[in-house]
Amino acid sequence: MDNSLVLLTALLPLAAGLVVVQTNPYRALVVRGILGSVAALVYALLGAADVALTEALVGTLLAVILYAVAVRSSLVVRLGVLAVDLDRRAGDLQTLMTALRRVLGQQYVQVEWVTYGETTELAQALADQKVHAICTCPEPTLIHTTTQVHRLYEILQREWPTPMTVVYQPVAIQGGH
Amino acid sequence: MLTGVLWGMIGVFLIPLYQTTRRGDIWETMLALSSVATKSSLIMVLVSVMRDDWMMGLVGVITLSVGNAGFMLLAHLLRRMAQTGR
Repeated sequence: MDNSLVLLTALLPLAAGLVVVQTNPYRALVVRGILGSVAALVYALLGAADVALTEALVGTLLAVILYAVAVRSSLVVRLGVLAVDLDRRAGDLQTLMTALRRVLGQQYVQVEWVTYGETTELAQALADQKVHAICTCPEPTLIHTTTQVHRLYEILQREWPTPMTVVYQPVAIQGGH
Repeated sequence: MLTGVLWGMIGVFLIPLYQTTRRGDIWETMLALSSVATKSSLIMVLVSVMRDDWMMGLVGVITLSVGNAGFMLLAHLLRRMAQTGR
């Protein structure tokens, strides 16, 4: 009985180490749930039934939900685009989106569209930092992507595939995200 | 005899933990989470029978029945992410 207790207790730092080495934030969330289960088991076996119950309910349920909300809302790049362009240049913009998802997916960042009706609204949204980047199609073949987030600009400049016809215009560097 | 069962359960407990160290689909890690949650509760119940400790058994049963709500929420979130496309 004692040996098995020692072995089960040794699983707790092992599970904690597994959380630390995860690079994907979503995977780290799942492994955090595993850590909560192992911790509840160890607490119960060591005689602290109340602590184990709290860990099972808070550690695996509440912490995972809160972290899920935080990760979901922070690791997203919002890409503003005109509804007209989305209709007219659907194929090109879809290619752009696929390339963006591939490049930013390496940093575990999601990309999603935000559509606007007017050009002025789009520019205002970028200035107000409601979106991280905007796509405009002033010419028939070219798509301009403008971003104010310098880190995003750096990543795209470094990783972007050369055949893509995209131009970046970092408007201003207004703090990090 | 119950001690043998406990050692067997600890051995089985290591399998999903090993699975989390491998780089695979995130759903495999979710499976490992579900597996670990159920197995830890069952080990609690078994040890409570061995020690004749009702309080620990109660914790095991509550963990077993309530602990999957967070799992379902996480699965829902991951499914929504897969739909928006990575």
